[in-house]
Amino acid sequence: MATVQQLLEKFHEVASSPQKQKEYYLKEGKKVVACVPIYTPEEIIHSMGMIPMGTWGADVEVKEAKRYFPAFICSIMQSVLELGINGKYKGVSAIVIPYLCDSLMGLGENWKMAVPDIPFIPMQYPQNRKPEYGIEFTKQAYLRVIRDLENITGAKFSEDNLKKSCDIYNAHNKAMREISSILANHPEISAVNRKDIFKSAYFMEKEEHTRLVNELIALLKAQPKQDNNKIKIVTSGILADSENLLKIIDDNNMQIVADDVAHESRQYRVDVPVDGAPLDNLAKKFSAMDHCSVLYDVDKKRADYIVNLAKQYNAKGVIVILTKFCDPEEYDYPILKGAFDKANLPSTLIEVDRQMVNYEQAKTNIQTFREVLEY
Amino acid sequence: MYTLGIDIGSTTSKCVILEDGSKIIAKSLVQAGTGTDGPERAYNEILDASKLKKEDIAHIVATGYGRAIYTSANADMSELSCHAKGVHFLFPDVRTIIDIGGQDAKVIRLNQQGIIDSFLMNDKCAAGTGRFLDVMANILQISINELEVYASKADNPVKISSTCTVFAESEVISQLAKGVTIENVVAGICESVASRVAALAKRNRVEEKVYMSGGVAQNAGVRNALAKELGTEILFSEYSQYMGALGAAIAAYEKWRKETGGKDHE
Repeated sequence: MATVQQLLEKFHEVASSPQKQKEYYLKEGKKVVACVPIYTPEEIIHSMGMIPMGTWGADVEVKEAKRYFPAFICSIMQSVLELGINGKYKGVSAIVIPYLCDSLMGLGENWKMAVPDIPFIPMQYPQNRKPEYGIEFTKQAYLRVIRDLENITGAKFSEDNLKKSCDIYNAHNKAMREISSILANHPEISAVNRKDIFKSAYFMEKEEHTRLVNELIALLKAQPKQDNNKIKIVTSGILADSENLLKIIDDNNMQIVADDVAHESRQYRVDVPVDGAPLDNLAKKFSAMDHCSVLYDVDKKRADYIVNLAKQYNAKGVIVILTKFCDPEEYDYPILKGAFDKANLPSTLIEVDRQMVNYEQAKTNIQTFREVLEY
Repeated sequence: MYTLGIDIGSTTSKCVILEDGSKIIAKSLVQAGTGTDGPERAYNEILDASKLKKEDIAHIVATGYGRAIYTSANADMSELSCHAKGVHFLFPDVRTIIDIGGQDAKVIRLNQQGIIDSFLMNDKCAAGTGRFLDVMANILQISINELEVYASKADNPVKISSTCTVFAESEVISQLAKGVTIENVVAGICESVASRVAALAKRNRVEEKVYMSGGVAQNAGVRNALAKELGTEILFSEYSQYMGALGAAIAAYEKWRKETGGKDHE
């Protein structure tokens, strides 16, 4: 059995080398389908015997994608297109792009022109996802994805296989929720380590990732309780995978005890229902999802959700990591800030993008926040 | 006992020495910031001015952009925390601090105890900072200190609408080409900085009294424009530029007390 350190190294290796993972699966004769944020029906792709790989871009200089996008637009999406144009997704059978924000719609349309050799499959979600007609809309959109996947890859879809995949994904969700919760009691696991555990999930077959995470859970559970003098915080945002930023959090003796990050825990909050037709259940899963800037909610319950999350884990504050030019997150921010202030929950805001090279301002921001929390 | 605070900014280095955490003994300022010999020069200058020796200083705290690489300090603290400490020490009624430095702008809201309630920093952009004023003064071929003199003589300030320093530069040149007076262009530049910083301040909610710290506080053109934008008086003092260093000296005293239990340095 591996040690905690060996497992963390494995997660780090996978999280740092998606290219290597892609090549590995292609060599095994498997087909890989790229899945763009924020929510893509990975279960469908998995059930058709292919590897769904998360495609959240990378910290790269955007050059070629600028031919298709204005400067003031989400850098995650720009970097996805940049990587596509530069051939980093070579060998991928298709890319599924969900239309969950205006910028993603632009990505889909530009992808067709900029990366014609990788077929683009749109995933159109309904704004009103909860009523019966919303669930039916989602199901029809899934059927479109299935049809396109069958046509492009030749793979076949079956409800029986989808049921098996949904079970595998539910088991993975459970493991991810559990590891997140357990890590709150393990200050020795750094913010960078925590990120690797979450990020690696996008580049591995879920069965394998679940196995490794469960192994880590077992090892951590067996360890004696650690003294914890770290400042407990909650993170919120779309993406928080920058090692430079996370190292600043670590250097300031802070511990992420829970998160509201789309790239991390937001993925794992809701399971696919077990009883009933699998594809209907998958649509019902989406209808049951909440507390996310791209999921329409007139009451913006997300704000109280984060406040309660901080209370549940005794966090002293919240770091909002705002992806620049992300309209949904920017619209939510004043509501979140209002809720944090009302609850006397200290918070700070850091704007990030995929092309950040200087973290000096983030360093000053986080150090000040630490000094405020320590006072 | 003496503590020293050093604020190593992007364009200047400032030092303050405090006696027993309560009395300002000396201050120094050198027009050279991080990555230069400015910090050492500011340090040597303040020792000369105070007639103190290195060994007389019980504790040093560094702040500002160069805080982490200044090896002579016992500890470092963020400039926001230091400005809050410095301003609260001299002006305990202040609830909002606007700090416009060479490279960025910050807005800090304090509670009655002088503890930071919330803070905001501007984007990594020269607009709304001292750097913006430097660039503009250079185009107009006047010194930075002359900006406020020109601004005070304006009768019809122009509107500089570009949010980017580079674009604002060409906008200023085009205004000059149109025959607009330097006075009106300078006043427009000051208003442009003030409007950007006021927007940042309003995002963080402005509570009176408002104090302006940082190098740009010396510029009455920006100060007056900011007062107009925010509809409130803007306090400042000869210590505006030293608030970071003063706060660092206070923090040094607090840290020294915590570490030694207040036992005299001797």
